[in-house]
Amino acid sequence: MANRKRIVKELSDVTRSPPPGTRVQLLDESDVHIWEVLMDGPPESVYVGGHFKIKVTLPTDYPFKPPLLSFTTKIYHPNVSNDDKGSMCLGMLRSDEWKPANRISAAIEMARNLLIAPNADDAVEVSIADQFKNDRAEFEKIAKDWTKRYAGKA
Amino acid sequence: MSRQVVLPSNSYSYLPSSLHEHSLASLSYRTPQQQQLTLRSPELPASINFATSQTHHPSPNNSGMGYVQSEEELAELEKLSNEYRPVATGPLVGERQPSNNITAEYANADPVYRAKTAALPQKYSHYRTCRGDGHCGWRAIAFGYFENLARVGDALKFQEEETRLRSMGNILNAVGFDEELYEDFAGDTYDLLRKIAATIGTSDDGTVLFSSFNDEPLSLSIITYLKLLTSAWMQTRPDEYQPFLLGDDIREYCSRNIEPAVCEIDHVGVSVLADVLLKPAGFALEILYLDRSPGTEVTPHCMDPLDVNGIPFQNPPTIRLLYRPGHYDLLYKLEEVLAIPSHSLGTSVYLAHDAEDYTPISRYEDVLSVIPGMSLAASASNPMGWNYGALPLDYNSTPISAAPIATDPSYQSVHMPNPVHDFPSHHLAMEQPVNVVSSTIPIDRPGPFRPSAWELKTDFSNLNQAIPFQTSIFRNSHYNTAHFLNPDFQPEEWSPDSEYVTTNNKQRSKSSSQ
Repeated sequence: MANRKRIVKELSDVTRSPPPGTRVQLLDESDVHIWEVLMDGPPESVYVGGHFKIKVTLPTDYPFKPPLLSFTTKIYHPNVSNDDKGSMCLGMLRSDEWKPANRISAAIEMARNLLIAPNADDAVEVSIADQFKNDRAEFEKIAKDWTKRYAGKA
Repeated sequence: MSRQVVLPSNSYSYLPSSLHEHSLASLSYRTPQQQQLTLRSPELPASINFATSQTHHPSPNNSGMGYVQSEEELAELEKLSNEYRPVATGPLVGERQPSNNITAEYANADPVYRAKTAALPQKYSHYRTCRGDGHCGWRAIAFGYFENLARVGDALKFQEEETRLRSMGNILNAVGFDEELYEDFAGDTYDLLRKIAATIGTSDDGTVLFSSFNDEPLSLSIITYLKLLTSAWMQTRPDEYQPFLLGDDIREYCSRNIEPAVCEIDHVGVSVLADVLLKPAGFALEILYLDRSPGTEVTPHCMDPLDVNGIPFQNPPTIRLLYRPGHYDLLYKLEEVLAIPSHSLGTSVYLAHDAEDYTPISRYEDVLSVIPGMSLAASASNPMGWNYGALPLDYNSTPISAAPIATDPSYQSVHMPNPVHDFPSHHLAMEQPVNVVSSTIPIDRPGPFRPSAWELKTDFSNLNQAIPFQTSIFRNSHYNTAHFLNPDFQPEEWSPDSEYVTTNNKQRSKSSSQ
């Protein structure tokens, strides 16, 4: 696998100095293409206190295709699809915006920043985005509730 | 699929309607739909993407044409359309093929395309397809760069190029690219330079290059390296390139239009890539636009390398691209296809003697007339061992000039059609070899092609003009300048020196004494 070297390099970097509030490990030690990211809800966000699992899947033609991020922990967020996939796909994670010189850790950091500041203009869940824009109190209430219910235990 | 995608015809009207009947079928373009998807411009209007993705993913409640889609459905469809990529097939870089295939592709197309593609093979005999997967421009230039290095065939040049590219690590670092991340892409590029350098002087005829570029990860890796180089070069020279960006921030521009993984090269990118990769290597880039602009030939745009004094190189190795809006392919001139290796002079002499073994020619017999080196080969062979160049010297002392004869159309129309047999001096020619030479005045045939190596080169006529005709009939003709009716009448002078040089001195002295 031609890209293995690069992935291993990135993995060792990110395990040595992970983005704040995250831990990165392989889901299965024998497969470097699937990472598991454990992300604490950022203190300045409504998700504080939650512990979210994100599965990062690296395509076989990585780094020429973007990594796929999906929240395996259910989360109430305009940029995360509210289904069993929990996928997040915007910004640098889009295949037409992805750059081969991007790092996976940058993608993880972007996900964390989105927990702090959701991007309602580029939402995958339009109704949650509407609520986020027009009825912030209700949005925060549900988000906190879901965090407690689904992301409570570490 | 029951619902065939119908694309508005004007969106790809530059494409021929007869694609499937011709060469493209061999490129594994199988179904009509695939052809459309493969060959049209990668930059489709959003409306077409939209229609296509709808076909692939029909909405469950899509009961009729008149229904109104909900906002969510629209968002979903928009997402699909954004993610839609046409299925590109065919090799990443194709085999070189004759460019009359392009003419055939456009046989039923718009008259402008017909005229332009009909003229194309005369100048550019061959072409190579690049897969229209959104990387074709980058890939075509990259391939052309390596191919031209291989054609130059100098192992030292490969080393120079590697050194030069390595030295550009500093501009990559300067604009903030992480060496740890780009070193793989750069490494692949250096490796390919070395691999191809190692094939110089071997029987490899481009297989290494061809297979490397058809290895997708490797091909993408090299493209990515070139994108990073282009971006870094541009960002470190804002004064040079900022004016082309119409006010966009240069960093922003590179990030959006140069660096993304799927991002076709734009015009600014082409010119920056030529500046950073091709010109310093001494290569020119020629882009030939095939579009519907008025004209009968593809429109060339050239980017020539300049030497240290700012003077363009003479005949630099050139990468030629055929540009059809949204797509690039590679073009070749015939001499580049029949690239003559340095040791081939002896070969071409041999080939001229034994035409049956000259397979490259028999493959391209319709273009024989433009093969350079045919005349070269024959002149080098010089079957009789005559020194043609010395001939006119023998006559330099003779003031008679046959120039008026050569340019007199009436004379030619009477005598030229079958000069060897009709020429009045035939019997003399048998006795006097020198006159054989003068009797085989080049036949007025288009192009430098000669059916026989025994026939003189066309440009030999310049030499012939100095050779006087001294046949019994001609001597008394008023076409002879020695004849008093000739408007250029000039009396002959007797030259004693010539008596001892030529075999026909007797005749000459006789005529001069008249």
